[in-house]
Amino acid sequence: MRNDPDARRLLAAALDAYRAEVLPVVPPERRYTALMIANAMAIAARELDGLDAAGHAMMAAMIPLVGSDADESLSGAALSDRVDALQRRLCADIAAGAYDRDAGALLDCLDATVRARLAIANPKLLEG
Amino acid sequence: MAGPITDEALPALERWLAGAAGAGRVAVESVERLGGGAISLNLGAALAVSGGPLDGRHAVVLRIGPASGMAASLDKMHEFAVLCAARTAGVAVPEPLFACEDADILGGPFYVMRRAAGTAAGRLVVRCEAPQRDLARELGRTLGRLHRVRPDDDDLDLPLPRDGGAAAAAVRDYRAWMDGAADRDPVLAWGLRWLQVHAPAPGDVVLCHRDFRTGNYLVEDGRLTAVLDWEFAGWSDPMEDLGWFCARSWRFGRTDREAGGIADRADLYAGYEETAGRSVDAARVAWWEAAAYLRWAAIAIMQGRRHTSGTEPSLELALTGRLVPEIERDLLIHLRAIEQGA
Repeated sequence: MRNDPDARRLLAAALDAYRAEVLPVVPPERRYTALMIANAMAIAARELDGLDAAGHAMMAAMIPLVGSDADESLSGAALSDRVDALQRRLCADIAAGAYDRDAGALLDCLDATVRARLAIANPKLLEG
Repeated sequence: MAGPITDEALPALERWLAGAAGAGRVAVESVERLGGGAISLNLGAALAVSGGPLDGRHAVVLRIGPASGMAASLDKMHEFAVLCAARTAGVAVPEPLFACEDADILGGPFYVMRRAAGTAAGRLVVRCEAPQRDLARELGRTLGRLHRVRPDDDDLDLPLPRDGGAAAAAVRDYRAWMDGAADRDPVLAWGLRWLQVHAPAPGDVVLCHRDFRTGNYLVEDGRLTAVLDWEFAGWSDPMEDLGWFCARSWRFGRTDREAGGIADRADLYAGYEETAGRSVDAARVAWWEAAAYLRWAAIAIMQGRRHTSGTEPSLELALTGRLVPEIERDLLIHLRAIEQGA
């Protein structure tokens, strides 16, 4: 089933209207909640747009460490499952002490992972 | 009326307060929900007391426990006892008045304290052209006074850190609170591993606030008026509170001012050493700052789950769960800085 506009476009339109027409006129005692709503909608919109890109970035960052092949054709749930499996493997290696002596390559991977997640959760922190 | 102080609850509350205050009658007026307190509910109110030692009108705050408890937080009766102990130690706190264990009155135990003046909002507190060196120094002195309270000279009924001391207990707690998240998230896995490998040996154990940070103290005209939010207090390594205070998470945009966004660490540390009777161990503080990011991440995960589990649906809790990548970023910046300094 296809809906037009789809969830992504609906959410984007709702967010635009909310920011332009509602946020400026909410009373001060509701402003905190109003800002939280705008923030939550913006995170959800970025997630709908960018979850696969984040998944591919995380997969690419982990592959040098866990020695698996990248699969650029993956998307959606299959991609999430693959990233999850790689993360679990990496977590097990970390907990077993594999990076205790030299964490250089691991830290680079973790930075890339966090950047990919921040692109959805709070992209402002990627600047500078 | 606001929150749990419904028109039905009000008469029982007023009767209880009159008994606690030794008054003929207490009227609760002007109830308002106060900001902050993602875990406890804070209500501002005026008490009109007729008779007894408190005869007169008092601006107070009622602090009521959450519907779903947090693993890390004290119940309201213990929190009240800690507040009293801190006040006795010379820490600026809102004056504790009465505590009520009876959950039937407001749906959970609660306590009443005098309302202190000032603002706690982090963004406002850090907003200052020049570094607030006097404020940082006073906060250091305050923490030093608190840390003079030791397990053997107080009858606070709080658990002592077991097996391996405060650092080892902290790592165990964070892992448990994360409930499996560190098996899936490699940043959390590395953070916990790093803490475990570098854990400092057990040392002094003192009364720690454990949420001592910008945003949790009141400032009026640039001066400290009261330290708030004592629900995480417990016996721990005194360097824990300094590491938590200096974590990047509580600098509110002023990342250059490492002591809570208000000044340099040097001012905080100097004030601390004036009153604490011990010197600051910078390496230990750095370990506890790394621990701070793991602890904050664990709390954010728990807060998010309070929403997703359905026990306490709340947009604020849901969004707190999405702070984890931001906290992880700060952790990685901190761990790299330690590595480069080593």
